[in-house]
Amino acid sequence: MTFTSLAARNILRNKLRTALTICGVAVAVITFLLLRTVLSAWTSAADFAAKDRVVTRHKITFVMQLPKRYIDQVRQMPGIKTATWANWFGGKDPKHENEFFASIAVDPGTYFEVYDEMEIPQDELDAFKADKRGVIVGDAIAKKLGWQIGQELTLESGIYAAPEGGEWKFTIRGIYTTKARSVDRSSVLFHWEYLNDGLPEARRDEIGWIVSRVGDAKQTADMGVKLDKVFDDQDVQTLSQDEASFNKSFLAGFSMVLKALNLVSLVILVIMALVMGNTIAMGVRERTSEYGTMRAIGFMPKHIVFFVLGEAMVLGLLGGLAGVGLGYPFVEKVLGRWIEENLGAFFPFFRVPPEWAVVALLLSMVEGLVAAGIPAWQASRIKVTDALRRVV
Amino acid sequence: MSEQAESIIRLRSVTKEFERGGERLRVLENLDLDVGRGAFEALMGPSGSGKSTLLNLMAGLDRPSGGSIEIDRKRIDQMSEGELAAWRANNVGFVFQSYNLLPVLTAVENVELPLLLTPVASSERRKRAETALRVVGLQDRMQHYPRQLSGGQEQRVSIARAIVTDPILIVADEPTGDLDRKSADEILTLLETLNRTMGKTIVMVTHDPAAAERASMTRHLDKGRLKGEEAPNREPAWEAKT
Ligand SMILES: Nc1ncnc2c1ncn2[C@@H]1O[C@H](COP(=O)(O)OP(=O)(O)OP(=O)(O)O)[C@@H](O)[C@H]1O
Ligand SMILES: [Mg+2]
Repeated sequence: MTFTSLAARNILRNKLRTALTICGVAVAVITFLLLRTVLSAWTSAADFAAKDRVVTRHKITFVMQLPKRYIDQVRQMPGIKTATWANWFGGKDPKHENEFFASIAVDPGTYFEVYDEMEIPQDELDAFKADKRGVIVGDAIAKKLGWQIGQELTLESGIYAAPEGGEWKFTIRGIYTTKARSVDRSSVLFHWEYLNDGLPEARRDEIGWIVSRVGDAKQTADMGVKLDKVFDDQDVQTLSQDEASFNKSFLAGFSMVLKALNLVSLVILVIMALVMGNTIAMGVRERTSEYGTMRAIGFMPKHIVFFVLGEAMVLGLLGGLAGVGLGYPFVEKVLGRWIEENLGAFFPFFRVPPEWAVVALLLSMVEGLVAAGIPAWQASRIKVTDALRRVV
Repeated sequence: MSEQAESIIRLRSVTKEFERGGERLRVLENLDLDVGRGAFEALMGPSGSGKSTLLNLMAGLDRPSGGSIEIDRKRIDQMSEGELAAWRANNVGFVFQSYNLLPVLTAVENVELPLLLTPVASSERRKRAETALRVVGLQDRMQHYPRQLSGGQEQRVSIARAIVTDPILIVADEPTGDLDRKSADEILTLLETLNRTMGKTIVMVTHDPAAAERASMTRHLDKGRLKGEEAPNREPAWEAKT
């Protein structure tokens, strides 16, 4: 027997209470991990954004369009390696009214050069390029809606009315996959030409935004400024941002939600401390006479503190292990996959950040210590004779 | 009674007051006491007369409000809390009315407990604890938890715990108070044996005249004062031998 094993003994004393407390801590840890995962998933698009991409859009709002000729001006800028453009189509599959997916009209020749983290088999890409009505879809949405290559697809747009006397009809020509954490696996991409040709004269030759890649990634931020200068005295002014800042400014719109989630994750920590504090305080109270006996035998107040804190730390560690042990695989194998496949537009990458799993584990131990602080202090301060009198 | 060769416990003008609800309560009044080395003394008196208070003072669990306490030629009344704790660990064995064993530890572990505070090595600790349990006749109950033992057996474990560090003084506050007659007699026999064969000085508080009979001397406390010293029940065992 040692001091440590003595401290550990009390953990198993009231098995039901210990089990309930460990469950409580585990639930708190899982909730905490989920919140941190949501937060990191939300910001991961910004974190994993390509360092050399610049997005150029209308200065006022990204809902407004740019003249198509801007793309040529961008391409002529020294330092720009390649550039492409796209329009937000806002399409829906009438067969799956409630499915949200991103649908974007793109330039088939350059889009996948700019987004080279999207992987498409060469023959599928060729087939897509050759067919004006071809679409390439993400593997997640394809799997979910049972889409096959060669299948016809009709989309309705909330932005672009269907061409006169017809529908927006497509044929699936390819399926892309990706290993990048910032890329949505549920997008539908089709020829910008097809969209443009189906529009009334007045709406033609307008593009939603331009994405360019800069030869030297260190110049990315400067390039944005240079591009905007070019368009400053033209009919439509632009706002260019490197992809990371673009994603961040998009996130800024959700800053209240993010703050709220952050706050809730802190509240969870407080609840966790209270759950443990309650158990420890009850245990210490019941053991007053035992601590009195130990003090009589010659144990010092510091030993009592060690026993109480040691017990609390082990309790926190067990709760933390249970929480991380259940929560991590659950998100990794079940929840994360489901979210990536179904809510990929919001959370293209939904996994527990390993560093947060470690933090959660450490926090549950530290919280145990914090929660046990006051009971430990009280237990160590009690007068031996008073503690012994309570027995009789 | 012959002039005692040496007193191991020496109290001079000891008073003890408690503060209760703003009122000072004087529990021990100007008390002088000498206990000889190797004595087995019983302390009797009505409830509330201050027996436990006096026992706690000589065991270094509490400090007097006035006067001096010397145990084995050491002044303990002026020691700090920390010094007292270390002193108790080395010099005093405790036996309580309700045994006060830790329920999460087995018999042998309970006995080992005080040795955690000594520099004794881990394997040696276990050996000494087993020896102490053999002394009290519980060699076949070493791995039992307190709840698996009878009251008498629990008290024997607690006596083993009290002697395992080889203290000079054993204090027992109503050690038979919770026991039936037969178990009580066994415990008293055990204490008597420890006193006779190992020379342990024992001070025992008791309400039971039959228990006091077994001691070498009985003192009576009333309202915080010791009544005139009683004649010894018999010759102090340890002295008789030397
Ligand atoms: N910590 C304390 N605070 C206040 N009063 C106390 C304290 N300890 C003891 N007393 C009081 O001192 C008096 C003597 O108490 P003590 O426990 O020494 O009596 P006792 O002789 O052991 O009695 P019993 O036979 O019932 O055990 C009692 O009136 C008790 O209420
Ligand atoms: Mg008493």
